[in-house]
Amino acid sequence: MKLLTKLTLFITLSKLAIVVLFVFLLPNLIERIASQYTDFYLKEQQKKVMQIISKNGIDYYLQGEESMGSYTMLKEEYISLSPTEPRLYPDTIETSERIVEGDTLNYRLLTHNFLADKKHYLLEIGKTTATISQYNRPLQRVASYVLIALILFTLIADLIYTRFLLAPLGWIIKSKLVNRRFPFNDNPHPVKTSTSDFQYLDNSLITLMNQIHEAFEKEREFTANASHELMTPISILQNKIENLMGEAEVGEMVQRKLIEMHRTLNRLKKIVNSLLLISRIDNEQFSRSEVVSLKELIGDVMEDISHRLEEKEIDFKLNLSNDVQIKNCNRDLLYQLFYNLINNAIKYNKENGSIKVYDALHSGSFYQIFIEDTGIGIPSDDIPTIFNRFKKSNLAEAGGYGLGLSIVKSIANYHKISIDVTSAVNKGTTFTLVFPKEVIQ
Amino acid sequence: MKVLIVEDEKTLAYEVEAFLKKAFYIVDLAHNARKGLELIEVNQYDFVLLDLGLPDKDGLVVLEHAKKHNSEAAFIILTARGNIEDRIKGLDLGADDYLPKPFSLLELQSRMQAISRRKFGVKNQALQLGEFEIDLQKRIVAHNSNEVEITRKEFDLLSYMLLHKNRVLTRIQLSEHIWGSFVDDDYDSNYIDVHIKNIRKKLGAYGPVDWLETVRGVGYKVKKQE
Repeated sequence: MKLLTKLTLFITLSKLAIVVLFVFLLPNLIERIASQYTDFYLKEQQKKVMQIISKNGIDYYLQGEESMGSYTMLKEEYISLSPTEPRLYPDTIETSERIVEGDTLNYRLLTHNFLADKKHYLLEIGKTTATISQYNRPLQRVASYVLIALILFTLIADLIYTRFLLAPLGWIIKSKLVNRRFPFNDNPHPVKTSTSDFQYLDNSLITLMNQIHEAFEKEREFTANASHELMTPISILQNKIENLMGEAEVGEMVQRKLIEMHRTLNRLKKIVNSLLLISRIDNEQFSRSEVVSLKELIGDVMEDISHRLEEKEIDFKLNLSNDVQIKNCNRDLLYQLFYNLINNAIKYNKENGSIKVYDALHSGSFYQIFIEDTGIGIPSDDIPTIFNRFKKSNLAEAGGYGLGLSIVKSIANYHKISIDVTSAVNKGTTFTLVFPKEVIQ
Repeated sequence: MKVLIVEDEKTLAYEVEAFLKKAFYIVDLAHNARKGLELIEVNQYDFVLLDLGLPDKDGLVVLEHAKKHNSEAAFIILTARGNIEDRIKGLDLGADDYLPKPFSLLELQSRMQAISRRKFGVKNQALQLGEFEIDLQKRIVAHNSNEVEITRKEFDLLSYMLLHKNRVLTRIQLSEHIWGSFVDDDYDSNYIDVHIKNIRKKLGAYGPVDWLETVRGVGYKVKKQE
């Protein structure tokens, strides 16, 4: 999951949790606040009454009566003063029932004992519980609205900001990792960001890429130099041997030695050439801009190579039912690829063996070419390593120096072609070339 | 024919010189670009063999200059750099051929002959080989004016041996001529034998081919009495 998705999910879920928590707790909370406020209100009322009594005397209320009671029209509040025995009722605030003019009502009730004119009095101030909770619902609603609005606002703000914050990471991934193709020839541009972590990441990637690029350039340079430095002495030796072989007075024995030297030198030359070729392919020093018909290409290869079939009288069957064009390729390299594979199929074949080259087009996805021989086969243990350089299986006596398949592998990689090998010892080998959709014209 | 070899690797230059002198060319040597250009400015050459990796100047620069002074000459680039861009650049600048090092001297001579025919219109009249007539221009082998049908590769092989007549050519030299420096996994191919066999079979149907000799364990030779 992407970091942005994870963060978005987390933010949204955490806010949702807060909303749920609030919705559950809000009624309780508001009730509590309301009841606390009522108690406070009752105490304030009591203070006021006591102030008036101490200022104006108890008669201000009693007006000569024994006791006094008063309530508002809907009996939502009431107040009463009555003489009492000292400490008959303790001073409390509690919820209890009172009968007021025949109506039994639930009141939040404050009781207070006090002394006035040397008499004990009991003050009761009550407020119906119904009025206490009358604002709870609208309050809850308003609180919920405000809360949801706030949550929504912060949620949007959070999401926009995380998106903005993480954008450089996206650019880094896009410009440095996804869209970059080896060998990183173009100069990478640093991603603009004020987040130091991203700057660090970006700079590290740029440094790393520059290092790779440098190493790659060095190798390219080395290849060019090595090719020059190795080829020149080989060239001198070859020409010296050739000149000597042309000398009339050279005896037969020397002539034979010269030819052996020439042969060995030729072997050296081919090894160096092969290594340079692999290195040049791996360093992407070949252009890939041609469009090639595989049918024609294999036809050309066969024209070059078919005479080799004669020696072992090998039966060759070319059966390509599709004329597939490969784009973005290098014709010479593809030629070499098929040349090497078919050449191997001949070289490691048996007398009167056969070779079949056929294809399969999976329209819309990929294209396969099979090169099937009835040769000596490859032991299954050796299959994973046959593409390694200088790896010769048990076939050393058949000639070759173990670079042919390495070249094939390099060329295939270079063209995004994958190779599968199936083989059975003494039965034969099948090389399957898989051309992906994107290289098919 | 007059040849200038511009090559900083002296040993190599001497070998090429010795070989060409034996083939009756007149040869001058230059071991750097400056000397090479000096010689080109005062002499008329038929061939300039030019190494690209010269110590003082890039061979391609020399080629550009030399073309102005000696536009008649045929330029053959000899290089160990072997990258394709160099080859294209060289041919774009007007080089007539390109031979990657290491090259065979026999191959060099064969290329020079081909250029002579193409560029200087040197007409070697049809050559006689036993009862056969070989026309290098038209690439035809005929027996009593009956054309003998042979493949392109077989003709290449035959004309190469004819060019180097009375000289033993090894299988390697012959395959190199036909398949170039193509990277082949075989260092000791005998595939050339099949071609020789075919030549003998096809020509043998018309007349004796005893001039095409097998030299045991070595290769082949075209023997020709002048």
